[in-house]
Amino acid sequence: MTTDNHTTVIARTVARVVFPIIVVTAIALLLQGHNLPGGGFIAGTLTAAAVGLVYVIYGMDYLERELLGRAPSAPFTDEAGIDREYGTLVTTGLALAAGSGVVAILFGEAFLTQAVWFFHHVPIYGEFEVASALAFDLGVYAVVVGALLTILAVVGAE
Amino acid sequence: MQPTAGIVLAVVALPFLAAATVPLVYRAIGERTAYFAATVAAACFALIATQFGAEGTVVFEWIPAFDVSLSFYVDGLSLLIGFLASGVGVLVFTYSGGYMHTEPGKQRYYATLLAFMGAMLGVAFAADLIALFLFWELTSVASFLLIGHYQDESGQYAARKSMFVTVSGGLFMLIGFLLLHWVALDVAAVESAFRLAGEGSMLANADAMQTALQQQGLLVPVLVLVGIGAAAKSAQVPLHIWLPNAMEAPTPVSAFLHSATMVKAGVYLIGRVRPLLVTDEWVLLFALLGLVTMTVTAMLAVTASDIKELLAYSTASHLGLIVAGYGIASTADSHIGLLGAETGAFHILNHALFKATLFLVAGIIAHEAGTRAIDELGGLRKDLPLTAGITAVAALGMAGVPPFNGFYSKELLFHATYVLAEHDGGLWWLLPIVAVIGSVFTFLYSIRFLMLFFGDKPDELGHVHSPPWSMRGPPLLLAVLAGVVGLGGVTAAFGVHLGPVEEFVNRVIESSLPTSAEEPHFSYYLPTKLSPWLGMSALTVAVGGVAYPFYDSIRDALREVRDADPLRPNWYYDGATEWVDANDVGDLVHNGLLRTYALWFLGGASLLTLGGYAAAAVGVPAFTSFAVTPAIGIVLVVAIVGAAAVTDAPSHVAGVLTLSILGFMVAIFYILADAPDLALTQLVIETLVLLIFLLVLDKLPAFYGDSERWTTIRDAGASLLVGGTVAVTVLLSTASSPGIPSYLEHSLKSFFIERAPPPAEHGSFLLDSGGGHNIVNVILVDFRAFDTLGEISVVAMAALSIVTLIAMRERGETQ
Repeated sequence: MTTDNHTTVIARTVARVVFPIIVVTAIALLLQGHNLPGGGFIAGTLTAAAVGLVYVIYGMDYLERELLGRAPSAPFTDEAGIDREYGTLVTTGLALAAGSGVVAILFGEAFLTQAVWFFHHVPIYGEFEVASALAFDLGVYAVVVGALLTILAVVGAE
Repeated sequence: MQPTAGIVLAVVALPFLAAATVPLVYRAIGERTAYFAATVAAACFALIATQFGAEGTVVFEWIPAFDVSLSFYVDGLSLLIGFLASGVGVLVFTYSGGYMHTEPGKQRYYATLLAFMGAMLGVAFAADLIALFLFWELTSVASFLLIGHYQDESGQYAARKSMFVTVSGGLFMLIGFLLLHWVALDVAAVESAFRLAGEGSMLANADAMQTALQQQGLLVPVLVLVGIGAAAKSAQVPLHIWLPNAMEAPTPVSAFLHSATMVKAGVYLIGRVRPLLVTDEWVLLFALLGLVTMTVTAMLAVTASDIKELLAYSTASHLGLIVAGYGIASTADSHIGLLGAETGAFHILNHALFKATLFLVAGIIAHEAGTRAIDELGGLRKDLPLTAGITAVAALGMAGVPPFNGFYSKELLFHATYVLAEHDGGLWWLLPIVAVIGSVFTFLYSIRFLMLFFGDKPDELGHVHSPPWSMRGPPLLLAVLAGVVGLGGVTAAFGVHLGPVEEFVNRVIESSLPTSAEEPHFSYYLPTKLSPWLGMSALTVAVGGVAYPFYDSIRDALREVRDADPLRPNWYYDGATEWVDANDVGDLVHNGLLRTYALWFLGGASLLTLGGYAAAAVGVPAFTSFAVTPAIGIVLVVAIVGAAAVTDAPSHVAGVLTLSILGFMVAIFYILADAPDLALTQLVIETLVLLIFLLVLDKLPAFYGDSERWTTIRDAGASLLVGGTVAVTVLLSTASSPGIPSYLEHSLKSFFIERAPPPAEHGSFLLDSGGGHNIVNVILVDFRAFDTLGEISVVAMAALSIVTLIAMRERGETQ
């Protein structure tokens, strides 16, 4: 396992600076995806890459010990741990994506029909667009992040 | 009367649903799951009964554009098999409640048995060839699981053997079906080329189909291929070898699958396709096959030393009788064909009644006396008086003694063979002779089975307990039914016919007659006049009666013949399987190494794909619209150099880093080709892959080590093959444009370009447009959102499987 003994100060400092930038970029990609390059899948993999960076540079237990302030869990035992939370993320994402399709049925449309609202005269933005597809994309994002981090955690724990 | 669509679907679906709920039900009510299953079977029986008298097709559209649908066909024959599968099912489940009391694996047992019942009902009602084939193979899989129920060595051998014989027989049948389909495509009257029965189907246009088959020269191949499938399933010589071994299964399974239902699938198929394929070749194949099977397996039954073995051979023998019945027909005289169909249809019913009874009796004997060896049993009458009575009715029916039920259908067979021989003369006289010889042996072993209850009781047997009522009731009911059918013939001789049975059998017969044939008027009665075939029956009983005192010496003589190696099909089967084992054929295909599986799987898929392209004679399209600019050229060259360098990397780190050169070059290529979304994704994925590699790197050995020369050559060949296949596929699939779908005015591409962005003039709410300028994303989350939903499910599934594979690996080992 890669632990903090192996990494240099440079790597640790750079990772500390870069991590928030990557996450913010990922969120930006998620939100702008409808009109500019981006989307749930890209944002999800980017977020997973950011957390993966933490795993490589700081070791597998750092996330739980330092960021979440609790004792690291042994992965994939019966006790609740970060892998359980990744799993919950996956199920939430799937439920969100499928649920956003069910909402369309409630309005008498076909499953997964998407709609767009435009709000005019919004301060700063002028015309502001909200697509129902965003909910679906959020679901995609959550599934991708959850699944990739599960894989990272499993492979890393090996 | 038209069948009701919902009910027919429910009949087939209900057992599968019930099978899926068995684990829950078992948790709630434990052993009483038997009665839950019996209730399900009874519900199916009742549902089928509501369709009594119906005839026609019900269709559930699935993909109308490709003419794909799930269709069921209801007529006399399918109702008969349906009644057998569900009716005997009720009794067998009830019986299992008593029999399986002390046995292991009850959940698996009931779930599989229910699923089997569903599959069998599917076979009975399927109207198209593909559905029929699927249900057919499902019954084989269920049989495999049930035969191997006890998971001991002989059970596994038997399960494998039956799987091997019946499933490979099914594959022959599949080829026959595909040939039928291929011929049907050219027959104008056949609307749906996979539809076997119902309106606009092959059977509805049997004459046109038969002419087309003969013109193409495919009649005999189809006949033989379908015949092999049916013969494997219905245990016809020489493919009967799996049936005696199948007796390793719990006895209720033997009664259900291996006597009353699954083995009937083969004769069902023969009866079903009979109007389509009946010709002189048909008669030659099936009449001979049936009569040879009937005689040979009847002799084998005499040699049996175990009561279930005796019943197994006897089942094969009676299936032979049914096949022979369906096989007998004549192009010149339709009356002969009618007699043949009567034999087959009536004997399916009679055999199910008496044979299921006898199997259940065998279960009682094995359970209560603790042995199944014929020599150790005798005089059971005193301890099991009711069972003795049941056995008398069933065994005398099996022997063909008047006035018991088996007599009438056997009489019909004698009649049919005699008339055919009289009509065609010459060697055809062998048929009635063989039929009589087979029947004499049938008489002998039937009486031997009955004598288990009479004579002296061996001292070592001890006291035999009476079984619980759940085990006595089902055979009693079956024996009463068999007795009633038998008595119906006696009363009919005095003019009082057993109306419903005759009417029902009449409708079963209709299913197996050509459309042009005369209307059948089936009735059966105890003969009141002398006739040659009555003489044949009398001869059978007389010879059998005279020979019975010498049973033991006949048995020993037959055993000598049976044990001569070249005469034993098992000798060939075992020899072949042992040869395969001894020559490491298994190691070549599955040796537990992932790379071997990958090689076979990818190589096979590539060869099949390339073969498909070659068969369809597609040409690889030329590049026309793609110009390589200097920038793209440089990127591609670097990518290729990177790819080549990977093969020469001295260590894992170097290899992974070199590989990422290739990935990043592809990303740059996407940027240059105006695909920013793809480029972004490629970049991020590439980074992520690099990260995962870094995480696992210190787990891997530092160096690859030297590989053998031929391994390198093989791997290089395999990668070239796979790469070439992918390249050709990409070229072909990108070159062909999908055309304009019927529901659009323009092509799909222009639809996406038009509809994805919001229109220039728009209100505050949009429904019929994607409303986004990034068309790729709009396609992903809006137009093709259903695909994306599927993809993220796959991603979730992949994570789940990695968790199971890696994290739970050790947990699995400790359990």
